[in-house]
Amino acid sequence: MPALVASRRLVRALCLVLALTSLACAGQPPALAADKPLRIGVLAFLGTEAAVVEWTPVLRRLQAALPGYAHTLVQLDHDGLQAAARGGELDFIITNPGHYVELEAALGASRILTLDVGGGRVPERALGSVVIVPRASPLRALEDLPGHRLAIVDRDGFGGYQLVWGELDRLGIAPESALAALREVGFPMDGVVDALDGGQADAGVLRSCLLETHPDWAARFRVLSPRAEPGFPCATSTRLYPDWPLATLRHTPPELARAVAIALLGMRHEQDGLAWAVPADYQAVHELFRRLEIGPYAYLRAPTLMVLAERYWPWVAGFALLIVGWIAYTVRVEHLVQTRTAALRAALAEREAMEARMRGAQEQAEHMSRLSVLGELSGTLAHELNQPLAAIANYANSLVRRADNQRLTEAAVREAAGEIAGQAERAAGILGRIRAFARKRTASRETVAPRELVDEAATLFRGMLAHAPAVGIDEALPPGTLIEVDRLQIQQVLLNLLKNAWDASRAQPLERQRIDIRLDTDADRLRIAVRDYGSGLEPAARERLFESFFTTKADGLGLGLSICRSIAEAHGGRLSAEPPAASADFGNAGALFILSLPLHQPPPGHTTAHLAPEQP
Amino acid sequence: MTPAEDFPIHVIDDDAAFRRSLVFLLESMGWRVCAHASAEDFLAAAPEPATAACLVLDIRMPMMSGLELQQVLRQRGWQVPIVFITGHGDVELAVQAMKHGACDFLEKPFKDQVLIDAVGRAVKLGCEARARNARCEAAQALLDRLSPREQEVARLVALGQPNKLVGRALDISEKTVHVHRQHVMEKTGVGSAAELARLMLRADPAALD
Repeated sequence: MPALVASRRLVRALCLVLALTSLACAGQPPALAADKPLRIGVLAFLGTEAAVVEWTPVLRRLQAALPGYAHTLVQLDHDGLQAAARGGELDFIITNPGHYVELEAALGASRILTLDVGGGRVPERALGSVVIVPRASPLRALEDLPGHRLAIVDRDGFGGYQLVWGELDRLGIAPESALAALREVGFPMDGVVDALDGGQADAGVLRSCLLETHPDWAARFRVLSPRAEPGFPCATSTRLYPDWPLATLRHTPPELARAVAIALLGMRHEQDGLAWAVPADYQAVHELFRRLEIGPYAYLRAPTLMVLAERYWPWVAGFALLIVGWIAYTVRVEHLVQTRTAALRAALAEREAMEARMRGAQEQAEHMSRLSVLGELSGTLAHELNQPLAAIANYANSLVRRADNQRLTEAAVREAAGEIAGQAERAAGILGRIRAFARKRTASRETVAPRELVDEAATLFRGMLAHAPAVGIDEALPPGTLIEVDRLQIQQVLLNLLKNAWDASRAQPLERQRIDIRLDTDADRLRIAVRDYGSGLEPAARERLFESFFTTKADGLGLGLSICRSIAEAHGGRLSAEPPAASADFGNAGALFILSLPLHQPPPGHTTAHLAPEQP
Repeated sequence: MTPAEDFPIHVIDDDAAFRRSLVFLLESMGWRVCAHASAEDFLAAAPEPATAACLVLDIRMPMMSGLELQQVLRQRGWQVPIVFITGHGDVELAVQAMKHGACDFLEKPFKDQVLIDAVGRAVKLGCEARARNARCEAAQALLDRLSPREQEVARLVALGQPNKLVGRALDISEKTVHVHRQHVMEKTGVGSAAELARLMLRADPAALD
C-alpha cells in the first residue's frame, strides 16, 4: 500500500480535482475529448481506504475502452460528492458502502459493480474494523470499553467508527454516553495508533487490514473481541461488510452504464492492481444503518430531549422565551381581567350601595324636611293644640267651681260637656293631620287634578296656622287637565312654598300678607306659580336658594327647597324662583316660585273616544 | 270677691271656643262677662271705660293685636286693667305689655286658678283706680270752685306759709290774704291748712311740687 503513504499529507476538507483528463494523456487529440463527458466522482477518504493513485487504473481502463468520451475523475469529500451528484455534475460515483447507502436513498444511486481488492477478501465480506488496545491494557473485550477513552478517526467513518458502533450497539452499549470519551483524531488513520502510543486514549479503532501494515503490531497491541471470519486474512472485531461500490445516478444513460460495467469488469488484479466484481448485496449495511438509526434511517432516531435541545437550543430557547412571554402575558392579562372584574364588581356593588344609601338619604331627608316644616310650624301647632286643650281645661274646672258655688245648672253641664267633646275632637283632628304629614312613606303615583291638589295643600296650610293669610287660587287650566304625581310629595312642595311665602310676608302690613297661586299650562307642562308680596329675594339668594343647608331663616335647616326641587325633578318637573312680575297692588315686591310638572297624557284610545263622538 | 259696681269683665279672643270657655269659667265665679271676637269688635261696642271691670286680652290676633288695643286705650286715656293671654312664651311682648301698664301676663296653658286670681287682682285694681279717680274728681270739683287768686292763695296756704308771707309773695296785703283764705275754707269745706293740702294732693299728686 504505497498509495497510503503517498496521500498521508492530504487534508480531509480539501477538494481535490485531479487533472487526470484525456488532455493529460499523450496522443489523444483534444477534438475527441470534447465529444461526451464521462465524469466519475470518488469519495476522497484522503489516503485511508482508497488512494488517488489507486483509481488511475480505472480511468486508464475506461479511456481505453470508451475512447469517444471526455473522462474526468474527481475526488470529493463526503458532502462535496453528494452536492456534485445532486447537481448532475457526475455520471458515476465510487464511494464507501455507508455513503452509498445514503446516496441510494437520497439521489437514487444504483450500484453496478463492487470493488474487488483481492488478497483473499471477497467483495461481499471485505470491510471490517478492529478495536485495539496497548498490549498491557487490562481490557479484553468490547464489553470492557465503557468508562474508557476510545480513539476514532471520525464519527462519519464507516470502517473507522460506524462498524464498531454497530457491534457495541448489539452489546447494548451506547458509545456516546457509556464511554469516558470518544476522541476523533482525524486522518490519517495512523493517528489512532499515535493516540494509543501517547496515552491519549485507552483503545482505538482501525479499519481491518490496516493494522497488519504495521509489522510489529502484535508486540505492541492487542485486538479486543477478535472474530474468527473464515477466509478473511486480517484481524477484525466486527462483522464484515461488502466493499466499495461503483454506482450510477438517475440521469446516467443505461447504455453508458453497461459499457462502463463491461469495461471495468475486464480489469485484473495482476494487471491493474484492482478488480471489479458484480454488485454485492448491501443489505448488511442497510441493517447496520437501520440499527444505528443513521444515514437514510436517521429519521428512526427518536431524538431525546437533550439531543433536540442541543441541536435546536437557540430555537428552543427562543420558543421557550416566547412561551414564557406568552404565559406571562396570559397570566398578566388574566390577572388584569380578574383585577378589573373585581374592581368593576366592587364599583357596581359600591354604586348599588350608594344608590341605596342615596335613596335612604333621600327618604330620610324628605322625612326630615317634613319634620323640619313641622318644627318650624311647631310654635303655631303648639298654639293650635293649646286652644282646644285650654278650652277643655276651662270647662272642666268651671264645672267644679260651679258645683262648689252651688251654681251648677243642668244647662251649664250640657254646655260644658258639649264644648269639651267638641274641643277634644278638634285636638284629635290637629294631631291626625300632623301625623299623616310626618309619617314616613314610600312614593306612590296617582293621577289627580291639579286644582284638587292645590286646594288640599291650601286647606292643610291654613289648618295648621292660627292666622293663615289669604290664599287666592287662580285657575287657568283646560278642562280635564291631569297630572300623575305622588300626592303627598307634591303637597309637601306646595306646603313648603306656602310656608316660605308666609314667613316672608308675616312681617308685612296685613294687606300684603297675601299669597296668590296661579295654575296654568305651558306646552305640555303644568305650571303652579306661588306668589307672595313679602320681603322678596336678593338675586344672590335666589341663585343659592335650592342648595342644601342654604337658608335665610334664623331657625331654618335649609333643606326645604333643596328637597322640593329634588321632588320636582323626580317627577320630571322643575322648581324655580323667578323675579315676580309687577302686580297692580304692590309692584314687583315679593317672590315668585314656579313648580312645573309634566301633564299626564291619557291613553290615546280614551282621548279619541272622548273627542270624536259617533255621528248619528 | 265682689266685682265693684257689678261692671262686666271683657274677654277679647279670636278663638271662639277658647273665648266661650273663658266666659264659662269667669261666669262660674259669678262675674259678669262680655265676649268680643276681636279688638275692633270691642272698640265698636265701645263701652265706657268706667264700666269695664277689666280686660282679658289675647295678645295675638289677626287684625289688631292685643298690644295695639292697649295702645289705643292708653291714647284714649282709659285706664282699664288688662290681663294679657298668649299662646307663645313671648318674653319681649310680655315686657312691652307690662311696661305699658298691663296687670298680668298669662301664658297658655294656665291653671284656671291663676287666671281667676289675675282677673280678681285686676278687678280690684280697677275698683281702686275707679275709687281713686272718683275721689280725685271730687276734690278737683271742690277746687274748681275757687277763683284763680283764691287758688294761688290756697296753694301757698297748703304749703304751710303764714298769711304775712303769702301776702308778700302775692304782693297783696295780709288782710286781703285773710279774706281769700276764709273763702277757700268755706268753698272747699276744709277746716285747716293740712286738710287743704290733702285735698289738693288728692286732686293732683303734683299740685304742691
